[in-house]
Amino acid sequence: MEEKIVNLEKEARGRIEGVKTAKELEELRIYYLGRKSFINQLFSSLPDLEKEKKAYLGKLLNSVKKKITEWIEKKRREFEEREEKVDFTFPAPELNLGKRHIIGQVMEEICKIFKRLGFQIVEGGEIEDEWHNFSALNIPLEHPSRDVFDTFYLDIPSSEEGRYLLRSHTSPSQIRVMEKRTPPLAVISPGRVYRPDNPDASHSFMFHQIEGFCVDKEINFSHLKGVLYHFAWEFFSSQIKLRFRPHYFPFTEPSAEVDISCIICGGKGSKDGEKCSVCKGKGWLEILGCGMIHPKVLKNCGINPKKFRGFAFGMGVERIAMLKYRIADIRLFFENDLRFLNQFG
Amino acid sequence: MKFTLNFIKEFFDPKEKPSCIAEKLTLAGIEVESLTEENDDWIFQIEVTSNRADLLSIFGLANEIAAVLGKQLKIKIPSPKLPPLDINLFVEDKKDCPLYIASIIKGIKVRKTPSWLKERLLNCGINSVNCVVDIGNYSMLKWGHPLHIFDLDKIEGDIFIRRAKDKESFLGLDNKERELSPSNLVIADNKKVIALAGIIGGENSCVDENTRNILIETAIFSPLVIRKSRQNAGVSTESSYRFERKVFLRLLEATLSSTINLILELCGGDFVGGKKVGRIIPSSRRIKANLSSLERHLGVKLPLKEVKEILKNLGCQVSLKSKDTIEVKPPFFRDDLKEEVDIFEEVARIRGYDKLPSKIPFILPQKDNFDFLVSLKEFLVRLGLKEIITYSIVARDDLETLGEKNFIRIINPLRKEEDCLRTSLLLGMISVVKYNLNQQNEVGEFFEVAHLYQKKNSHFEEKPFLGIGVAGKDPSYIKAYVEELLKFLNISNYRFEDVSLRNFTNALQIFKEDKVLGFLGKLDKKIRESFQLKKELFFAQLNLSLLEEERKEKQFKPFSFYPKVSRDISLAKRKDIPFKNIAKIIEDNVKELLEGFEIIDIYQGEKIPQEFMGITLRIHYRSLQKTLEAEEVDFLHNQLRKKLEEKEGIFLR
Repeated sequence: MEEKIVNLEKEARGRIEGVKTAKELEELRIYYLGRKSFINQLFSSLPDLEKEKKAYLGKLLNSVKKKITEWIEKKRREFEEREEKVDFTFPAPELNLGKRHIIGQVMEEICKIFKRLGFQIVEGGEIEDEWHNFSALNIPLEHPSRDVFDTFYLDIPSSEEGRYLLRSHTSPSQIRVMEKRTPPLAVISPGRVYRPDNPDASHSFMFHQIEGFCVDKEINFSHLKGVLYHFAWEFFSSQIKLRFRPHYFPFTEPSAEVDISCIICGGKGSKDGEKCSVCKGKGWLEILGCGMIHPKVLKNCGINPKKFRGFAFGMGVERIAMLKYRIADIRLFFENDLRFLNQFG
Repeated sequence: MKFTLNFIKEFFDPKEKPSCIAEKLTLAGIEVESLTEENDDWIFQIEVTSNRADLLSIFGLANEIAAVLGKQLKIKIPSPKLPPLDINLFVEDKKDCPLYIASIIKGIKVRKTPSWLKERLLNCGINSVNCVVDIGNYSMLKWGHPLHIFDLDKIEGDIFIRRAKDKESFLGLDNKERELSPSNLVIADNKKVIALAGIIGGENSCVDENTRNILIETAIFSPLVIRKSRQNAGVSTESSYRFERKVFLRLLEATLSSTINLILELCGGDFVGGKKVGRIIPSSRRIKANLSSLERHLGVKLPLKEVKEILKNLGCQVSLKSKDTIEVKPPFFRDDLKEEVDIFEEVARIRGYDKLPSKIPFILPQKDNFDFLVSLKEFLVRLGLKEIITYSIVARDDLETLGEKNFIRIINPLRKEEDCLRTSLLLGMISVVKYNLNQQNEVGEFFEVAHLYQKKNSHFEEKPFLGIGVAGKDPSYIKAYVEELLKFLNISNYRFEDVSLRNFTNALQIFKEDKVLGFLGKLDKKIRESFQLKKELFFAQLNLSLLEEERKEKQFKPFSFYPKVSRDISLAKRKDIPFKNIAKIIEDNVKELLEGFEIIDIYQGEKIPQEFMGITLRIHYRSLQKTLEAEEVDFLHNQLRKKLEEKEGIFLR
């Protein structure tokens, strides 16, 4: 009898181990522990045995029963856990998310950087007149410096401030604010601008600019530098180097173009032994134009240049977005292909 | 502009490495775009800004390079002696041509151009033509003044500097026949136009291998006239480029002198003399510059000695007027230096912008509407909308298809067909949906924030708007987006009113009191078809300024802690009765205990007449003050049922 019990234990262990489904397990439970099970039969035959043998076999039976119960319970829990488990290798469903346009997002990011310094955001109109787009900015009406400012003219009857046009830069907003208000002023003007350029990968007749300026009694060139360093470090990275290159704009003096060290090759001009394709080996990328506001411009706006000084800067949003996100074709911004829109925002 | 190191060496020999010169030039504002070594020479490709006419010559560049390297250059400028010449020169208008000098050399032989001269030109990007023309170009490059050389024997009679007659024709050296107009200034003889003044010579008077006698033209033309003339003729040359910017009398003389001497040296012949018509009085100006102003402008105090040295190296004469003020006399070729700030810039750029300090100014923040716009866009994104940016310039045909009027037109459009400013955001929305459908993208919902433009009383109006478009989705979405947005902006008590809008099958106007905030609607099938749009489009356009005006700060509204009791009503309404009639009955009758209602089922089928629609409503009752008793709710609910049943076209099911 003892041998039978030991065999039973061995057999039960093997079968429970090998069971594959919950149903099979239940069958085994009934077989080994049910009312009609062999163990139960043995239990009922115990009273007929001698006292010593009875105690010994009773103990043995109990321990086997306990073991089998544990094994079954363990297996049951295993099955239960298996049932609860999720197959995360299934593909996730596509969620329909809203997206900001990358240009809107970049503009906002830039504005926010300047806003943290105290600049106020003022959006101007896109329809302007010659005074605000050119003359007030010290750009003579007929001069080679106008060549880069080719402009769309509109069929609205002219005013004393000249013909109406689509602004070719955001600088007129600067003039409008200065005409209306008195320093101290620190304003950022983002918005659309227009130039009659035939569209190609790097030209668009409509694009976005951000203009900034600051006028107060003790504003000087070092403030311009400080503000732009702050911007470039926040927007690109604090690893970036800046280069202020003297340049000419009719509305600022001194004027500068600002380059950042190439964000692709780190300013080395080459990457993986080849000439960097983004900065064309120069190591620098031009990102904006700036300078101290020309005294004539201040005067044109009714601000006394003896008392006040100011700086101004302007940048093309598409260009900056193209550099930062390595977008090769400006037309992508205005096609609004969902495969493009969904990559950003 | 291209120049070479060997060319510079005709004036002085900078000992620095070419790459070092390039770097210093760039940091002084003359950006070197490329530097290449070719034929034992270094070629610099630079960008010359439009204010620096002086840098369009090797002479000017030599001066600049010297200054940038901390040296001062004193170049002797040659000027020719002109024995009097007996020819007739007639200048029609001195304003067009303040000075004209014709010089004649006779008995030359047009020999082969020596290789050193050819190389100079080639390295500067100019092709060799023949020895005489090459000498002219070389002198222009070296001293900066454009000139033209005619074959004297091809000139018939006197020389006239006059405006072209209307439709006068002219064959240029570029072999292009042009029809001229009075906006062109020409050089002519008794019979024909022999040159487009300051721009390009004529085929009929050009120097060739057989030329023996030549007339050298050195003149000063009005920059504005040259600009208009070349725009009209559709050509830009090395010559017009220089005239348009600025030319200098002393460099004219140097160029002429160099040309005469080289021709005599290389082609032989006798210099007969020159005739001069007109006069130029070179202006000289003195600029006072204050050193403490300089400090206030640049943010750094600079020692007088350094300021003086920089300016002297640039060719300026500097004298001390007081302890704090200097007087600067710029060199004759720097007429871009006009006032104090120009002097500041010279000092700053030669010293190096990188050597100036950086500081952050203290700015007092001021209010603006930026946060409103940002939060609005962010909210629309939360609704699942995608922001788009579309062109403000649209096709007239499209505006006319929409029946738009009073749109603003562009006088000089890029493409004839696209010459209008948009009056509605609909066109952009249609184009984006269409584009994406064509790309087989899954279309959905979009928004754009942009300005719209319109003529108004011989003036114009430009205002910001928000457009929302939903394609390929249930009609209810467009309303949901608008209502959620109004809720977000906390604009309450708005109302929708039916409106018949051009281009829309049906539409609702959104009112707040008597102000129209905007509209929403379903795009008309005909419009859809004429734009070949393959999906239904629901569109809303809202006035952003009004939204901004009407938005309110949010305030906490208390809600009930007592249980809610809900009751359903199944009814059928005739299809032509708008749902808002039912909503009104509910609101009017159970207002005080109404928490809200929802539609839980809509049925159309055999169980109700065909012209009816079955609706199951769930009405939620709740009180702010107490737990509602079932009887109380039942009483109210039954009253509501009765009211609904009384309405014509509605029955309970």
